[in-house]
Amino acid sequence: MTETYAVTVEQPDGSSRTVAVRANETVLEASERTERTVPFGCRTGACGTCAGRLLEVDEAGDDGDGDATDGSAGVADAFEYRREPRALKPRHREAGYVLLCIALPRADCRVAVGSRARRDLVDNPWK
Amino acid sequence: MSDADTPTDAEPSHDHEHHGHEGPGYATPQAALEEGEREELAYVMSLYTGTDIDEPDFVAVVDLDPDSETYCEIVDRLEMPEKGDELHHFGWNACSSSCHVEGLERRHLIVPGQRSSRIHVVDTKDRRNPELVEVIEPEEVFEYDLSAPHTVHCVPDGKIIISMLGDADGELPGGFLELNDDFEIEGRWEPPGEIEMNYDYWYQPRQNVMVSTEWAAPETYYPGFDLEDVEDGKYGRRLHFWDWENGTVEQTIDLGEEGQIPLEVRFLHTPESTHGFVGAALSSNIFHFWYDTEAGEYRAEKAIDFEAREHEDWEMPVPPLTTDILISMDDRYLFGSNWLHGELWMYDISDPANPRRADSLSVGGTFGDVQEVQGRELAAGTQMIQLSLDGERLYWTTSLFSTWDDQFYPEEAEKGSVMLKADVDPRNGTLELDEDFLVDWGDCPKGPARAHEIRWPDGDCTSDVWQ
Repeated sequence: MTETYAVTVEQPDGSSRTVAVRANETVLEASERTERTVPFGCRTGACGTCAGRLLEVDEAGDDGDGDATDGSAGVADAFEYRREPRALKPRHREAGYVLLCIALPRADCRVAVGSRARRDLVDNPWK
Repeated sequence: MSDADTPTDAEPSHDHEHHGHEGPGYATPQAALEEGEREELAYVMSLYTGTDIDEPDFVAVVDLDPDSETYCEIVDRLEMPEKGDELHHFGWNACSSSCHVEGLERRHLIVPGQRSSRIHVVDTKDRRNPELVEVIEPEEVFEYDLSAPHTVHCVPDGKIIISMLGDADGELPGGFLELNDDFEIEGRWEPPGEIEMNYDYWYQPRQNVMVSTEWAAPETYYPGFDLEDVEDGKYGRRLHFWDWENGTVEQTIDLGEEGQIPLEVRFLHTPESTHGFVGAALSSNIFHFWYDTEAGEYRAEKAIDFEAREHEDWEMPVPPLTTDILISMDDRYLFGSNWLHGELWMYDISDPANPRRADSLSVGGTFGDVQEVQGRELAAGTQMIQLSLDGERLYWTTSLFSTWDDQFYPEEAEKGSVMLKADVDPRNGTLELDEDFLVDWGDCPKGPARAHEIRWPDGDCTSDVWQ
């Protein structure tokens, strides 16, 4: 039987729901079996519409601490990528961003999705 | 001017019946002006991609008939089959470039998803209730190592060419995808490797020329605008002039620091002309280009320079961001929008090398004098524009691109876009905001949506080309 991870998706309105994601599928693919899909665009990791921010990694499935504030280490523990996450720059990965259209879970975790979660990916450079 | 209009002795490539042509469109730009009826409907690209509303994008049908009970309303919404497309630009299966082809009709809209790379074909036989009839799935597009479809032009004999901004991974190079008249992928239009960056294009078949512009790789512009990417040279600033018949680049012009991010590009409508304009969005300059017969090549010179402005809430001067331009069907005026400032402008281009400011409107955006219409806060700047065939009504929407909207006008995601209108007096060169006109995407039944490119059912100032 394929291993399944519990990925808790925190919605922009503050509500959250847990999606059972198989180890060989992306968070987006698993969410498409539910009532509400996570946001997405290109499905190839180029556009960043699906970018979520890792909030927490479940300690039980992790050999490190569960705190995701250490950024990229947390993301690297929680997800593997099916292809190159081109929409994310190193600073985004360090800040804990993950592209849910191409990310395969490797731990139970909690991720913020939607426009609010994406807001810090880019800012207004002149303001 | 020392340059002439005609680089070759090229003749019209078909025997042109100027009256009673059999195919779609109009025999000449002047015929479009005379025979085109007032626009009663608009098709407008409408989207939820990038918002928190979990719904597919849609084609909005907007009632523009002032005598109709549903004037200024979205009277139909054709939903796309999948979410996440980001509908953006679109075009017809046939236009005046095929006006000699008997049996061909302007009937099908080619509607690409900019992010999804999915290409939809919409039948507008019933104009108020268009139907989705074909879908080319992204996987079919990726097989040609292309992605991110943008500008759609029909070309003579029912073919369709779409500018593609990236390869299958969203990296460079982009290219052009050709569809046949059955809406199947015919292949790449050009031999791969002619260009790296791509964006908009326009062709002038009598001069055997096509011109294309540069945005960036999809992986660069898709996630949002990052000034570091400009510093790293990841955004474009070049124009490519192509041999239209051969599909090869004959000349590339680097517009330099003042020509950064050249987006919308237009030749004059008259098929004899080699003159055109391109808006360099980031530098906020308009370049005039033309064929210099003495030099035997195209030249480009800055013709209009829009200045950044100080704003007390901004750390740096606010660039205008000149995101769209178009030329009136009589080739007399160039219209455009400065999205960040909230300005629409109109220049007399009867001497194309020396555009003369005719009028402008200050509406929406960072500096607009008008910030609400009928009590509706505008929440964004002047963006995609479309002009009536007779040149008397200018319409516009306010969304640029979902991720860029979120950076510069985050409130638009919650309020939705609007479509507005100005009355144009082409005789006197004036613009006046029509405050009775407002189409509000904030009222859409599934939640506030964004609105982008606009087209009329019978052709418009950015759809048609003449052989």
